[in-house]
Amino acid sequence: MISLKTEKGGTASKGVVPPFLLNWLGLLPFAALIFVFLVVPAIGVFIQALHNSDGSVGFGSMREAVTGQNFDAFVFSFGFSLGTATVGTLFGLLVAYAIAVTSRPRWVRGVAMSFSGVTANMGGVLLAFAFLSLLGRQGVLTKIFSALGWDLYAGDFNLGNTVGLIVVYSYFNIPLMVLVSLAAVENVKGTWREACSSLGGNAFTYWRRVGLPVLSPSIISGFLLLFANSFSAYATARALTDNSKIVPLRIGFFLSGDIKTGTDSLGYALAAWMIIVMAVCIALYWIARSRAERWQRA
Amino acid sequence: MQLMSKQWKKALAGVTVLGLSLTACGGSESSEESDMSSETTTADAASSSGADLTALYEECKTEGKVNLIALPDEWANYKGILQSFRDKYPGVENPVANPDASSADEMAAVETLAGQPDMPDNVDVSPAIAQEMVDKGLFEPYVVTSDAEIPAGLKDAANNWTAAYYGIMAITTNTKIVSTAPMTFADLKKPEYKGLVALNGDPREAGAAFAAVMAASFANGGSADDILPGIEYFAELKSSGNLGSTDVTKETVLSGETPIAIDWSYNVPGLAGELEAAGITYETHFPSDGIYGGFYGQGVVKNSPHQACSKLWLEHLLSNEGALGYLEGGAVPARIEALTKAGLVTDEVKKNLPPEELLGQVKFLTPTQVAAAKKVLAEKWGPMVADAG
Amino acid sequence: MRDNGRPVWAYFVLCITGLFFLAPFLTMARFAFQNVLVIDLGWSNLFENWSFDKATAAFGATYFAESLWYSLRLAVFTSVLSVAIIVPTAVFVHLRLKRLRTIIEFFTLLPYVIPAIGLVAGIVVLKPYIRGFIASDYSLVPFYAVLSLPFTYRALDSALQSLPLETLVSASRSLGATWTQTLFRVLLPNIKTAVISGVFLTIAIVLGEYTIADVLLKRTLPAFMVEYRGTDPRGGYALAVLTLALTTLLFVVLGLLTRSRHEKSRSS
Repeated sequence: MISLKTEKGGTASKGVVPPFLLNWLGLLPFAALIFVFLVVPAIGVFIQALHNSDGSVGFGSMREAVTGQNFDAFVFSFGFSLGTATVGTLFGLLVAYAIAVTSRPRWVRGVAMSFSGVTANMGGVLLAFAFLSLLGRQGVLTKIFSALGWDLYAGDFNLGNTVGLIVVYSYFNIPLMVLVSLAAVENVKGTWREACSSLGGNAFTYWRRVGLPVLSPSIISGFLLLFANSFSAYATARALTDNSKIVPLRIGFFLSGDIKTGTDSLGYALAAWMIIVMAVCIALYWIARSRAERWQRA
Repeated sequence: MQLMSKQWKKALAGVTVLGLSLTACGGSESSEESDMSSETTTADAASSSGADLTALYEECKTEGKVNLIALPDEWANYKGILQSFRDKYPGVENPVANPDASSADEMAAVETLAGQPDMPDNVDVSPAIAQEMVDKGLFEPYVVTSDAEIPAGLKDAANNWTAAYYGIMAITTNTKIVSTAPMTFADLKKPEYKGLVALNGDPREAGAAFAAVMAASFANGGSADDILPGIEYFAELKSSGNLGSTDVTKETVLSGETPIAIDWSYNVPGLAGELEAAGITYETHFPSDGIYGGFYGQGVVKNSPHQACSKLWLEHLLSNEGALGYLEGGAVPARIEALTKAGLVTDEVKKNLPPEELLGQVKFLTPTQVAAAKKVLAEKWGPMVADAG
Repeated sequence: MRDNGRPVWAYFVLCITGLFFLAPFLTMARFAFQNVLVIDLGWSNLFENWSFDKATAAFGATYFAESLWYSLRLAVFTSVLSVAIIVPTAVFVHLRLKRLRTIIEFFTLLPYVIPAIGLVAGIVVLKPYIRGFIASDYSLVPFYAVLSLPFTYRALDSALQSLPLETLVSASRSLGATWTQTLFRVLLPNIKTAVISGVFLTIAIVLGEYTIADVLLKRTLPAFMVEYRGTDPRGGYALAVLTLALTTLLFVVLGLLTRSRHEKSRSS
């Protein structure tokens, strides 16, 4: 393959702009879009977060945002997101694998991807109420269960408690995992499997030596994405629970409502910390994904 | 319609008219008839200072509309009040943006839309937000013509805002789902109501929920300076499992998911029609053990695009038609004394109101007391109620 | 048992999953279209009181048509902006800045780093300074374009990976084509499916996004639906059900469009 491209320059450059600069100029529109509409608001958040409750500049609010009730909220959000992400990853993988091995009927993959595309973006009050209409106290399924003799609400079950929320969050986490890992899973189930068995390995060996190692970057990256997604989910939790140990909900207190408790800077500090958590998460995701990429072109 | 043309003739005969031709005539422009409006328009003969308002009306007609915000149809019968305004002042529109916006959202809208044609002209906000707006200089002080008849506790000293209505806490029960409706705060603790009691929001955020906790505090030995018994009460409800965690919205009410709601007394009558259409029977009780009166303040927004109409709207809210409209919605109008003296408060009109003996006990919190209560809530509500269990 | 395309266990898993995903959707639709309280629901009245009335009433609501039209316009403009910025950028990166590919991809993930509520908080901070900009109807477009970045870029990235990009470009250029001609006549046809898939995902985002529209006080279709739910919940959910069904259909169509290409590359 003849490449007329040099490392820094381009093909016959017609303009007077040095090729080196041209490279970076080409990124300008993209960079500008991201900078103005994403980075600048984030900077705004951090600027406001770096104020104390009396208005002076300082780390007071940042500190307050991770102490006491707020610290509990971060811990809970963290643990909860870990839980929902794990459930979503496991089931998502299972479903992705099921789709991958099903080549007939042929529409399974298409429909699954379509539905995943829609449900992965669903959330908020809509999702919450959809589940309430199914499993709420006046839910259709609840009624069916009681007709069969099982009172779903006899014990501590509640869509708003941890277990309930995990179920609801799975509605968008599982499709997201499927979308992210399907390609990788499809690769893994194919010819490599045959190659492995022809070399004398069984299913167990395959998964242990080939399948899982190859899949693990995808699994990890999917998990991290789900974690980030769950951590920042706001409206769904709000509709189903009065629990305010979820960080986005606490941020909501400061941004809306009839009665605003506390100072604005605390709200921004919470948001700032949340962004930091997300940044770490996505950085790890990106590293994992870059590793996963290697296997996808095989 | 006859009364309308009389008013038109009066207006023409009066002060100089500018651009009458601009406004599209035709009485009330909305062709949908609201059952509730017919009763309120007949009383306009009794509205005070009619002459002064004519000039304001003329000015308003040139503006053409008043931008309103956060006025749900079934909240204190705003549907009827909006309609009666249109009936009384033809040619003036009163669109409502964002009916479900909270008070803080209203303030945010005023700030965000400053200078835009759709900037809200008038707001209806909780006392806390009203105070914040006063501090930020967002109001245009205006003395309503009926100012003398409004108690001091229901208006701002500097005339920045006036509270046209108030209500008390009520417990409304969906009797299709719950056979025996609870009547007091003490009742709500009964085990048969497990998971069925709902607050309208989080008291750290929502005015109605704040009021509920305050009312519960009164019911359990607290006072205007002490909200802690209320928090403890709800902590008990939460640990016994009686307090449900689902957020109360119109759909959860209609589906029966939140069958026992503690909310403002004036939030129920507006829903009557829909509840019936859905086949829901309900009962409203005013807990005699916890009487908390709360109001929302309305005021003219400074530098808004339609100043005259905004003032006219405020006048309307505090007029007899407005007051009767509020009564219909189960809210107590600010000028209830004046109305009662004028003989306008018949039994028929009072049917949605809480009983008089309860209303007599209403005392409003001062801004300082509200601020103090907020602080306690911020510290204690989370650990004791919301995040517990 | 394996690799015959009809594994029983997979069917079982997929059926259960399908049920899990359809169930809430169905009960939500039932709430919207059937006027019977769950407490009254039984075999006898299972098929009674169904009507499309609430949906029709919603279509006739004051701001429905306006908000629908507004959201469609936003979808079009966002797709155009998104594609106009990302396609050249992706091509550019693949041609000239290969080493930076993964770094660029990290930047496209920023919308996940700064999630909706964080972005909204930031916008609240900036609001006083950008009032003029916010006043415009189209102020949502760049924000939505940014939200669509992860999906659009990823689709294009994969597509461009599988192309012999440099060969195509140098061949085209050596035959005398300009950059524009190369882009439109040579490259675009080859990444057509990725572009279309990116556009569809962008449309889905625009039709579903609420938080940012809310803070900028724009009455988009999702914002209207939230508002309408406060007035007429069943009508509001009827609209939601219809929108979801339509969006799924959109994706199925997208799937059909991309299927033929995928069938060829799929190992069986």
